[in-house]
Amino acid sequence: MAKSRQLKGRIRSVQNTRKITKTMELVATSKLKRAQDRVIAARPYAEALRQVIADLFTPDLADRFPLLRQPAPPAKGGPSRAALILLTSNRGLAGGFNSNLIKEARRRIETLEQQGHTVELFGVGKKGIGFFKYLGRKMALERTDIGDRPKAEHAGEIAEPLIEAFAAGQLASVDLIQARFISALQTPPATIRILPVETPAEGKGVSRNYILAPNAEAILERLLPLYVRNAVYRGMVETAAAEHGARRTAMKNATDNAGDILELLKRTYNRQRQAQITQEIAEIVGGAAALQG
Amino acid sequence: MQVTVISPEASMFDGEADAVVAPAFDGQVGILPNHAPFMTLLGEGTLTVRRAETVSRFSVRGGFLQVVENRVRVVTEHVQGETHAP
Repeated sequence: MAKSRQLKGRIRSVQNTRKITKTMELVATSKLKRAQDRVIAARPYAEALRQVIADLFTPDLADRFPLLRQPAPPAKGGPSRAALILLTSNRGLAGGFNSNLIKEARRRIETLEQQGHTVELFGVGKKGIGFFKYLGRKMALERTDIGDRPKAEHAGEIAEPLIEAFAAGQLASVDLIQARFISALQTPPATIRILPVETPAEGKGVSRNYILAPNAEAILERLLPLYVRNAVYRGMVETAAAEHGARRTAMKNATDNAGDILELLKRTYNRQRQAQITQEIAEIVGGAAALQG
Repeated sequence: MQVTVISPEASMFDGEADAVVAPAFDGQVGILPNHAPFMTLLGEGTLTVRRAETVSRFSVRGGFLQVVENRVRVVTEHVQGETHAP
């Protein structure tokens, strides 16, 4: 008797959990849709910038732009500071999403330190910041106010000081740890080198007989920072979309699992109830038979 | 000619137009159909896109304007747009 009441309690508790995970799944689905639209809306700008920079770039220009210059390794007197921007989400319950990003960051830090760099960590999102604080690592920047709707200005605020420091020769490199948004089911972490800007392979100089105002160099000089800022912005938008995708998948699995558990519990409960009824009938029949003698 | 106005967050305008007036870094630039290939940095100011009687105005800052084969591309970091009837 007590056992069946216990079962009933567990059934109710699993049902409630399933209701919550189901709701979170639905919320994540609708947010994913909007975040996905933002990823798509960010594409034309990035493509336009990339194309124009590739059009204007020639290998002999590379040395003249501080943002394209590859600094000497620290062993040969180059700058030893390396910056790492880590993008994570502010909220958990997204499966392995944040821990994958953190793992990727730790791997990257290790590689950079082996090369003799001191790594400065720029954290965006509570989860990553929380983890590295727990390890006792100092953060150069902590931003938890951006959430899942990053704006281009946010990316600018983060990238601007780094661009300046890099141009001034104080930084050896800037890497961005972000989640790639391949699909809602596939959101692998990725490290993207932001500075020095990786020079476009197809750089063949001014090809189309452009009238350039003022000239290729001045235009490049202004566009390269935009390109860097945009790389950060895209990272943020993709990570936001990936977060919702990962959460939807995690919550869908949780809902499915809750369903399985529920089925099992209900079957056990019903079987027990049936057993009890059978026993009661047997007792009544037995009692009646005893009276008839 | 085909005109697109692109910001990091979205495409603000995409369509046919008869004339574009843009705030280049050194003053206003007017683009009419069949303009030679052209690229310029943008300053700060009002970008005007006209098609027949419809005029769209955007306030832009930074970025660049590119004209290739009757396609005008305005790529700018800050845009605020509104479309007016004349």
